Amino acid sequence: MSRAAAAGQLTSAARPPLGRRLRGRGDATLWFWVFVGPFFLGLLIFIYVPILWSIYLSFFEARNTVSPAPDQFVGLGNYRDMLGDPAFVDSLRTFAVFAAFIVPVTFALSLATAVLVARTAVAQAFFRSVFFLPTACSYVVAALIWKMSIFSGVPSGAANSVLALFGAETIPWLSVTNPPWYWLVIISARLWLQVGFYMILFIAGLQRINPTLYEAAAIDGAVGWAAFRSITLPLLRPTSVAVLLLLLINAFQAFDEFFNILSTFAGYPPYARPPLVYLFYTALGQGQDFGHGGAGAVILTGVIALVALAFGRLFRTAD
Amino acid sequence: MSSTSPLSTALTRRRLLTLSGGLAAAGALAACGGNTGREGATATSAGTGTGTGGSGPTLNSWYHQYGEKGTQQALEKFAADYKDAQVKVNWKPGDYDNTVVATLQTDGAPDIFEYGNGPTIDMIKSGQVTDVTDLFGDTKADFNKALIDRVTYQGKIWAIPQVLDAQLLIYRKSLLEKAGVQPPKSMDELVAAATKLTSGKVKGLFLGNDGGAGLMGGPMLRSAGLDLLTADGKIGFDDPKAAAALGALQKMYADKVLLLGAPNDWFAPDALTQGLAAMQFTGLWNLPDISKAIGDDFGVLPWPAMSGGKDNVTIGAYGACVTAKGKNVEAAKKFVKWLWIDQTDKQIEWATAYGFHVPARNSVADKADKLKSGQAAEAVKLIKEDGFAQSHMLWSPKCQTAFNDAMSRIVKDGAAPAAELAKVKTVVEAELKRLAS
Amino acid sequence: MAVVSRGPRRVVGGVARYAALALATVLFLIPFYLLVRNAFMTTAEIVSPEWNWAPARWSLTNLQELFADPAVPMARSVLNSVIVSVLQTAGVLVVSAMAGYGLARIPFRWSRLVFGFVTATLLIPASVTFVPSFVLVSTLGWVSSLQGLIVPGLFQALATFLFRQFYLNFPKEIEEAAFLDGLGYWGTFWRVVVPNSLGFGAAIGTITFIGAWNAFLWPLVIAQDSSAWTVQIALSTFLTAQTINLPELFAAALVAILPMLLMFLFLQRWIVEGVERTGIAGD
Repeated sequence: MSRAAAAGQLTSAARPPLGRRLRGRGDATLWFWVFVGPFFLGLLIFIYVPILWSIYLSFFEARNTVSPAPDQFVGLGNYRDMLGDPAFVDSLRTFAVFAAFIVPVTFALSLATAVLVARTAVAQAFFRSVFFLPTACSYVVAALIWKMSIFSGVPSGAANSVLALFGAETIPWLSVTNPPWYWLVIISARLWLQVGFYMILFIAGLQRINPTLYEAAAIDGAVGWAAFRSITLPLLRPTSVAVLLLLLINAFQAFDEFFNILSTFAGYPPYARPPLVYLFYTALGQGQDFGHGGAGAVILTGVIALVALAFGRLFRTAD
Repeated sequence: MSSTSPLSTALTRRRLLTLSGGLAAAGALAACGGNTGREGATATSAGTGTGTGGSGPTLNSWYHQYGEKGTQQALEKFAADYKDAQVKVNWKPGDYDNTVVATLQTDGAPDIFEYGNGPTIDMIKSGQVTDVTDLFGDTKADFNKALIDRVTYQGKIWAIPQVLDAQLLIYRKSLLEKAGVQPPKSMDELVAAATKLTSGKVKGLFLGNDGGAGLMGGPMLRSAGLDLLTADGKIGFDDPKAAAALGALQKMYADKVLLLGAPNDWFAPDALTQGLAAMQFTGLWNLPDISKAIGDDFGVLPWPAMSGGKDNVTIGAYGACVTAKGKNVEAAKKFVKWLWIDQTDKQIEWATAYGFHVPARNSVADKADKLKSGQAAEAVKLIKEDGFAQSHMLWSPKCQTAFNDAMSRIVKDGAAPAAELAKVKTVVEAELKRLAS
Repeated sequence: MAVVSRGPRRVVGGVARYAALALATVLFLIPFYLLVRNAFMTTAEIVSPEWNWAPARWSLTNLQELFADPAVPMARSVLNSVIVSVLQTAGVLVVSAMAGYGLARIPFRWSRLVFGFVTATLLIPASVTFVPSFVLVSTLGWVSSLQGLIVPGLFQALATFLFRQFYLNFPKEIEEAAFLDGLGYWGTFWRVVVPNSLGFGAAIGTITFIGAWNAFLWPLVIAQDSSAWTVQIALSTFLTAQTINLPELFAAALVAILPMLLMFLFLQRWIVEGVERTGIAGD
């Protein structure tokens, strides 16, 4: 008897007692909730309640309190403030530019690394480990190493020592804006931490490609770059799409490395300030302005969702 | 899920914080700093210490993690001496501001907590702290006026200043003598000195690794005779002299007379003691370390005046606040009065035994032995004459952010000061309006 | 890729490839080298303008000082981190595997909708919901408790998402056979499906463990008593000191990161396989 028929038989009859329903495949709805219930309940309580609470707060004047009085209702006032706040809008704009840059660069580097590693016969596992290992490193520790050891402004820093080898002057990497060396610091830290993971995704994708395709192409004379363009890239499409989407979402949620590398005793500088960092200072720390913080978070989520939707539309991958 | 994984879930955002935590906390004046030593710290249980003295209610008091050795044990000792209640000392590392304010909204709020320069205006307006005016009585006049004004709102006092921290200009006598430079008495002299003292690997002046953007805005305005906000809470920098003052700072950065790569930031004396800079704007708390490193090869100065302005020494204090919704408000008020108003010996010990600070009460400051001689005495004199509170009660965090942004652009990007200040003015006016309503 | 290099052009290509790999390897390993080097050096050696490739003397002093520091209960913090990470990982695996299986395999009219709810949370930045979360957990009375540290982190949309992907691609024959043997969903899941998901589970488990180990802000606010600190909080006490004690700082960072690196090294094979099995890289 097919499973569907069996299920149909059971549900179309008068509802059997619970014990009977739980035996065998039984009542699918009930079982669905047995399996998914604990997770869903936890998600509702610990994730959705705070999120909804924050959204609720975004319609109020809520400073230093998460339970504002009803007369503090300001409707869309906070949203208007945030959209009119040059610092917030600036952070969104900077971030769009940052994302436009970092996504292709990470993509290209991860793909390049994957191609290099996947084709290596010797010590492939070793090389793969090397690039993947930073994923285990916390952003805190990475920022520490970058800020205090590699790109510290003193002559004893690693980067400055390299410069000294070439007779160049010490650069206070994180103290100048002209040229904006801090981008180098942040981006290199981010790449180090992230390339490995995407590389793994690409390797998985690469290994799905049937090697006979390459042999066939080689017979026709297409090797190297030509083979890459006509075989590898098209067949990597599903992976590429997944990677791109993840990169985009991640770019808009950038926080850790920026916060850990650039913030100082005085707070955070106005350059390279991601929306999440700005919202952090608005809502947490000394700001404690949950109304505006919540509004900003909703706006940001909206932007991310729009981008993800547009992306999905553009690339139409089956789930 | 590790947030290094690209698909960070909502929950993993919580793993953040660090460096920034303590550094970004407590506004611009990091708490008494300076001591590296973890070597051989006296053995005590970390975190919570329970006062062994006294019966009565249990009070929870929160302090941020001070840099100096022995501070935690000292606070625990003070708490143990109090007999009318059991006072527990909670030592909080990391982002103190965040932790405290988040907890104030719950049942786990401490009865007593310290906060940089007293509670924020929003904490007061939302009723999170109690006013402590009645604890002062006659002693109010004895406290440093700038500090008291800083924690006063609508005639009421909202925190007891625990100990006074000052930031001033410290210079290396030998380097100045060698270059034939007199200790600068005016802004022009300072700029000239900084220029002359910059040679080879030594820079003339150290104002922080950000070239003074985070630290020197207020001092420069005061040098020009202005301020962030006036005493009666109006915008203080709406004047062409403000642009000129900030322009002077901008010029020093552009002329490369400022040290930008010190191993520790302005709150540690390394730049000065290691000879990386001839002069440094830093905290009074560093005096013992400086003496230890270079003996008496240093002098102290206020931040000099521009023409028509005033010398100034930036002062601030952690204020002891009492939670309004605590369970034992009266008992908590009694304790903070006992410790920070009455117990003058303990105040002297707190101020001078762990780094250098000045007791908040003037008469007590006069009694402190360690502050009676040498550069310390000179510093105390300067504080009395030229002390300016670091910020104003109505200068909200939003104003500070806008101002910091402007300072960063002025100093590092070379933006026109007048235009940047105009942007800050818009934000500050909106904030002042909001706070007045 | 099993393409065999043929001919001189391919040999040169091969050499270039290895050179590139070697260079990239060096660059990628430098941060780890710096971390280890600094953790064993003295302050003078670290800040000296003369580059020191290795400490003059390899000694455990920094580590000893670190663990002997009475102001920071490093050993206890490590223990707490272990407990919290292990329990949270176990919890996540159980809860998310079940949820993923249910979403993938149990027919339910609103399954897609529920799944949509789950994935929506991936887009939402949480640093702003931090305070409401804290107030909520505090109302439950879980401050400074293990539950407070572990439970809120048990519900990870990403883990469920990945498990669902994995189970969508799971061979149906195994489950069919179990059903024919008379097992229901529950039995099938625990007796047949789970034993065949161990590799993937190890992958998710490793990533979850690392995330739990590296968590900072939440434990900081919840674990208010120092006896409840995790290793990241202990690390922060060195980071937030006014004068940064570099050797001890790097030693603490090394302690904070080493367990993760070791674990990762041993278990990365599973992660790699796990990623392949989700089909996220295309079918």
